[in-house]
Amino acid sequence: MSANPYIPILVIFAIGFGFAAFSVGIAAVTGPARYNRAKLEAYECGIEPSPQALQGGRFPVKYFLTAMLFIVFDIEIVFLYPWAVTFDKLGLFGLVEMAIFIGTVFVAYAYVWRRGGLEWD
Amino acid sequence: MNALTSMMLLPLLGSLLVAVIPSDQTLRIKQAALGTTLLVAISGVMAWFKFDSANTSFQFVQIAQWIPSFGINYAVGVDGLALVLILMSVLLAPVVVLAGWNESEGGRWSAKVFYILILVLETMMIGVFAATDVFLFYVFFEAMLIPVYFLIGGYGSGERAAAAVKFLLYSLFGGLLMLASIIGLYVISGTHGGHTFDIGQLSELHKFMSPTTQNLLFLGFFIAFAIKAPVWPLHTWLPDAAAAATPGTSVLLLGVLDKVGTFGMIRFCLTLFPDASKTFTPVILVFAVISILYGAFLAIGARDIKRLIAYTSISHFGFITMGIFAMTTQGHSGATLYMFNHGFSTAALFLVAGWMISRRGSSTIADFGGLQRVTPVMAWSFFIAGMSSLALPGLSSFVSEFLVLVGTYTRYPVAAVIATFGIVLAALYILIPVQKALHGPTTPGNENLPDLNLREKIAIAPVIAVIVALGFYPAPLLNVINPASAHVLEVQGFTDPVPSESAGK
Amino acid sequence: MTFTAPVLNYAQLAPMLIVLGGALIGVLIEAFGPRASRHASQLFITVASLVAAFAALVRVRNQSSVDAAMGSVGFDGAGVLLQGTILIIALLSVFLIADQENFTALAAAVPGSSEERESLQLDLRVTEVYPLTLFAVAGMLLFPVSTDLITLFVALEMLSLPLYLMAGLSRRRRLMSQESALKYFLLGAFSSAFLLFGVAYLYGYSNSVTFAGIQASITGGSGNDVFLLLGIAFISVGLLFKVGAVPFHAWSPDVYQGAPTAITGFMAAATKVAAFGAILRIFYVAFANAEWQWKPALVLIAIVTMVFGSVVAITQRDVKRMLAYSSIAHAGFLLAGVIALSKSGLDASIFYLFAYGIATVGAFGVVTLVRDSAGEVTDLNRWSGLGKRSPLVASVFAFFLLAFAGIPLTSGFIGKFSIFSAAYETGSTAILIAGVLSSAIAAFFYIRVIVLMFFKDPVEDGTSVVIPSALTTTTIAVTSLITLILGIFPAPLINFIESSAFFIR
Repeated sequence: MSANPYIPILVIFAIGFGFAAFSVGIAAVTGPARYNRAKLEAYECGIEPSPQALQGGRFPVKYFLTAMLFIVFDIEIVFLYPWAVTFDKLGLFGLVEMAIFIGTVFVAYAYVWRRGGLEWD
Repeated sequence: MNALTSMMLLPLLGSLLVAVIPSDQTLRIKQAALGTTLLVAISGVMAWFKFDSANTSFQFVQIAQWIPSFGINYAVGVDGLALVLILMSVLLAPVVVLAGWNESEGGRWSAKVFYILILVLETMMIGVFAATDVFLFYVFFEAMLIPVYFLIGGYGSGERAAAAVKFLLYSLFGGLLMLASIIGLYVISGTHGGHTFDIGQLSELHKFMSPTTQNLLFLGFFIAFAIKAPVWPLHTWLPDAAAAATPGTSVLLLGVLDKVGTFGMIRFCLTLFPDASKTFTPVILVFAVISILYGAFLAIGARDIKRLIAYTSISHFGFITMGIFAMTTQGHSGATLYMFNHGFSTAALFLVAGWMISRRGSSTIADFGGLQRVTPVMAWSFFIAGMSSLALPGLSSFVSEFLVLVGTYTRYPVAAVIATFGIVLAALYILIPVQKALHGPTTPGNENLPDLNLREKIAIAPVIAVIVALGFYPAPLLNVINPASAHVLEVQGFTDPVPSESAGK
Repeated sequence: MTFTAPVLNYAQLAPMLIVLGGALIGVLIEAFGPRASRHASQLFITVASLVAAFAALVRVRNQSSVDAAMGSVGFDGAGVLLQGTILIIALLSVFLIADQENFTALAAAVPGSSEERESLQLDLRVTEVYPLTLFAVAGMLLFPVSTDLITLFVALEMLSLPLYLMAGLSRRRRLMSQESALKYFLLGAFSSAFLLFGVAYLYGYSNSVTFAGIQASITGGSGNDVFLLLGIAFISVGLLFKVGAVPFHAWSPDVYQGAPTAITGFMAAATKVAAFGAILRIFYVAFANAEWQWKPALVLIAIVTMVFGSVVAITQRDVKRMLAYSSIAHAGFLLAGVIALSKSGLDASIFYLFAYGIATVGAFGVVTLVRDSAGEVTDLNRWSGLGKRSPLVASVFAFFLLAFAGIPLTSGFIGKFSIFSAAYETGSTAILIAGVLSSAIAAFFYIRVIVLMFFKDPVEDGTSVVIPSALTTTTIAVTSLITLILGIFPAPLINFIESSAFFIR
């Protein structure tokens, strides 16, 4: 029974695919289809795409910057959690390593800040 | 210091000397080049006298580790065969420099570059004959192409760039096939007593090879040499290269470089792969005979003097190849002597032809006529060179051609008989241009050609002297060649069908 | 579940840490340093950290351990050699990068926009290229010493991401440069996905991500071979993409052509060393016992890569594209060393990588010098007659081309000989024959460029060779010198590699 461990994976894969297909399909069938101008906009996050791209369809590059900054700190948090959990066992080594890690992230942050990445306009 | 190593270093030092002389002092550069080549020639002659011809092992041996991990050594040494060819090379070099005093002027680059290339080439010419390490041989064999390539492409005439590229690509192709074979040898030697490139140790290796392996490795070497020599059908680069190169370069190309091919056949093909050599002998003899006749026919039809000489060389290389693969002592001695003689007769032909062409401004045979009366010295030089080329008795080539034919006849009578027609054709291809260009009435355009000047006379005199002297008395050379040839054949178990006949008469 | 603090061997990781530290300082200089002095301080930091990293590497050169970083980084002789090679190449490349004429003034400005004009007027500099180079170098240093698949993947991304950016920084023909960057990024991401996919399969197969664990599973033969094969296949795709082996080569001509030439040189040389280092390690350490599963496929890829690269290079009209195809062909030759799967194969590969990397940096260094008023001239037609205009630069370039072609007395020849003999030694006759034939084809286009430079007349269109800066001169001089020395006296390096190159398991 060498293939045994993979049967659950296959099942999960099937369930996942089925759920996605079901959700998309059921929304089209049962959901109300009342379109207005805002709904047809490309970016539906509460903020109007601004400034409007000339031909339409292109996001301002500033969103990209924001997203990148978010990821930088997101990843930092991802590492901070497990570190905090095992803080006792890692001891001083862990503390120093984490300080270095945070320092590295702040180097990136400083670069973005000094080069005007945080200014919206 | 070792005689061979110092002979190789001398031209290299000379090229450095030339390199530091300012480009505008052309005369100084030429003098430095001539002086260097003369020095090398003198040390070559001295080595000749120090050589013990009764001793058949390598002499002037020097071995130093080069790349120990691969078993590669800087190993030089000469037997009679290599010594004769080295002597020929170092004697021809000063002749070429002196004869082609103004050759560098039509070139793309300065005279300085020309003489640096010539001197570097001389180092490699000596090295390629002296190497007793297969890898070292290969390095010289390939590296030699580069200076010749620039000599043809940079200083030649006509379609020089195309001719240079054709020459280089043909040679590189052959060289790479040989590299594959060398790698094969290297790997096989690794499984039988450790990696080595020593020619002596490698010559034992054929006992461990399967016939297929031996045949394939043999072909890798042989095709490379057949391109170099050149043997029909791999000859097509030669006429173009010879026609485009300066006369001096042509002398080095046909006289020396192409000899590496025939030299390699003896030194490597026969010694390393005796069984495969026997297997392929019939085929090679057919190619050799075709070369003899085909080259001769092309020469008869040639309208350009330089091309004519190139075609005659194809025919002569056919004779040499035939002599080698006849596997008889006479055949081998004849072939080796032929290599030497061909070097000098071709040199004479090319140099005189070069002077004729530069005076007349044309290389078409039909443009010349009646030179005998206008320029007697030049005409006589060409005549003697031509007679040597057709192997007139009393001139040097006769002895060698005779030996080759006798040596072949004892084993392969049919090939020898067919090849004899080559002699008849040789009379035609030499006598036709001689009659057209030298004799008869002086045609328009040739009335005021100047005869050879003193420098040219000095350059051609030793060549003619060698041709005549060796025609009457070839013994000094044969005394060195015969033991070496006998030894090469004996080592790999080739025997003469007519054992009692001695060649050195 | 218990956690223990990891133990790191800081001395052995020092080269990478120093380079990363230098990169961080570089970023801080970008953030806080005054604009005017940024270029000088960046250059200083970059050179200093590369030199310091090299010194740190020399200090630990004789150490070896599987535990440099908890089994993720293996520190051994081969790793030291590869890291040293990368650092040397990086240093020489940085000298080329320092010539900021090649780089855009403001990478973010849309080509042809008013911002671009303004940035050019202000004479802005993209000094970010230095920290980016250092980040890439750090990734390259990690790549060949990673001993688990996760680290391998991280290293791959670390070296790739900066390179994607750097490819888009060209000052001229910016759209082309940006297109090349995008192409490189998309295809690179695609191949990373393949690699990751393979990692997953191998984990499924062996329940381990370390090379040692995979090797143990293969030896034990317990897992499902389908997963192993899929894993090897996908990982190979990801790695072969980085070295540009056919059929994963499509990016390289465009990227080589579009990227700033100094970056192309860095990328071509250093990435190849790093990626082949990783390939060697993973195939020698992790997959060695599954030899029969991957060897046939890899032999096929190697042959196709050699032949395709050589043949397609013939038709190229742009010098950078030609060098790209030549590098594809060389990737094929290098794969011969992987296929050999022996100690001599490893030695030969490392020597070849060093020799090829150095020559590549030098060749691209020369390419940066040939310019007209609109920047570099890469159209080969306009290189006509370069030998007349500046003989020295043309000669140096010709020398590098001869090294690529593997002519004796250059490093390329020794490399070619050793790698093919290693491949043949383990029975890959097909590789030897294909290698020799494609070398012959490749010789053709290298020689064509030499013909163009030396035997064609210059075109009058303002193409000229600029006087190189001191740093560029240093790079070109050092690279050509190393190429020559390795061709004549390779023994010290070969001995060094032979005695220290091994993979710790």
